[in-house]
Amino acid sequence: MSGNAKLRRSVMFQAVLLVVLMLASSNAPVGDAIWLNVPPTGTKCVSEEIQSNVVVLSDYVVVSDDHGHVPTISAKVTSPYGNNLHHKENVTHGQFAFTTQEAGNYLACFWTDSHTRGAGEVSVNIEWKTGIAAKDWESVARKEKIEGVELELRKLEGAVEAIHENLLYLRDREAEMRTTSENTNARVAWFSIMSLGICIVVSGSQIWYLKCYFQKKKLI
Amino acid sequence: MERKWRKIWGLIGLLLLNFVNNVSSLSLTITKVECVYKIVRSEGDIVSGNFVVVDHHIFWSSDHPGIDFSIISPGGDILHNLKGTSGDKFSFKAPRSGLYQFCFHNPLSTPETIALYIHIGHIPNEHNLAKNEHVDPINVKIAELREALEAVTTEQKYLKARDAVHRRTNESTKKRVIGYTVGEYILLTIASVLQVVYIRRLFSKSVGYNRI
Repeated sequence: MSGNAKLRRSVMFQAVLLVVLMLASSNAPVGDAIWLNVPPTGTKCVSEEIQSNVVVLSDYVVVSDDHGHVPTISAKVTSPYGNNLHHKENVTHGQFAFTTQEAGNYLACFWTDSHTRGAGEVSVNIEWKTGIAAKDWESVARKEKIEGVELELRKLEGAVEAIHENLLYLRDREAEMRTTSENTNARVAWFSIMSLGICIVVSGSQIWYLKCYFQKKKLI
Repeated sequence: MERKWRKIWGLIGLLLLNFVNNVSSLSLTITKVECVYKIVRSEGDIVSGNFVVVDHHIFWSSDHPGIDFSIISPGGDILHNLKGTSGDKFSFKAPRSGLYQFCFHNPLSTPETIALYIHIGHIPNEHNLAKNEHVDPINVKIAELREALEAVTTEQKYLKARDAVHRRTNESTKKRVIGYTVGEYILLTIASVLQVVYIRRLFSKSVGYNRI
């Protein structure tokens, strides 16, 4: 069964990767990323709804199963208004960083290139950090010369601020939605009454018109 | 002096490990089966997260079977299995380190969008350190505090996704109300005008030889 073979392959591969990661984990900025399988045809897209003025950092690497041939992918990142933020073809790894100008759905799409097709699905390791997770704590530590427990507490303070901002955002959205709901409620009531009124008006005018017409034709 | 250096290196190592806390919140589109993989570095890490189905089409039927969700450990065991949901939270303690799969299965053919958030929390403890290093209790406390904050963040992401779904439903309701009522008025007017025209036609030709 292909599922079993795939599972075995992924188990073996993650064992190899763990060894590699343990050896290289000293400076690797691996913030624990998501793996996706990019299909041989078609694109695989991930998106996130991001507010404006948020830093987005991302890093993607093609994970190669067999040692000889590393498949290449292409990546494209678009903003909610359609602007192209990052576009690269035929690469095995890449990164992009930007600060969002507008709030909306940011889309990152990956697809395999035409000449490496036929190799099946390509595994891509995507690291996607937004907002507080994308903050460069090492430069903050260097600039302000703090380390250890103080740095950790600074990070926690940043996390608390992010939580606070999120709560305010949720509250504003809830307020907007409440306005919309109440609007819709009022509209349903008004439109139903108006519909009844239009019904009466239309049938009244029908009867009046037909009466005039028959009187004109001297049938009544 | 030696012990102080060892302690400093231990602290730096722990700091680097702490940096490894990860947040990843993404929306995926699922056509049939979609799997997201994540590496859990050490056993005993708490993996928590949530997913919400953001309706792709809000159509007539509310008997959509929902999305099936399953979490598969690196050994192949199915840790969590949900059928027919439109969003849920999950949390488990990783029995071993390795690659975990979070798989979605869409029984229907219309693609669905899912907002997924996974957080892997690691609290340093005595288990996985070398024999001559020991964990500073303040680091453990800081890690626990951070995990509590991350739990709040996880919950917030869930609320945000549900709020987005609710908002879409609301805006769809608003559009439907306006669209259908205006359409109803127009159809009513057209039907009555057609009625009048038809009655006129009945009478105009046949007035000569037939009195209805």
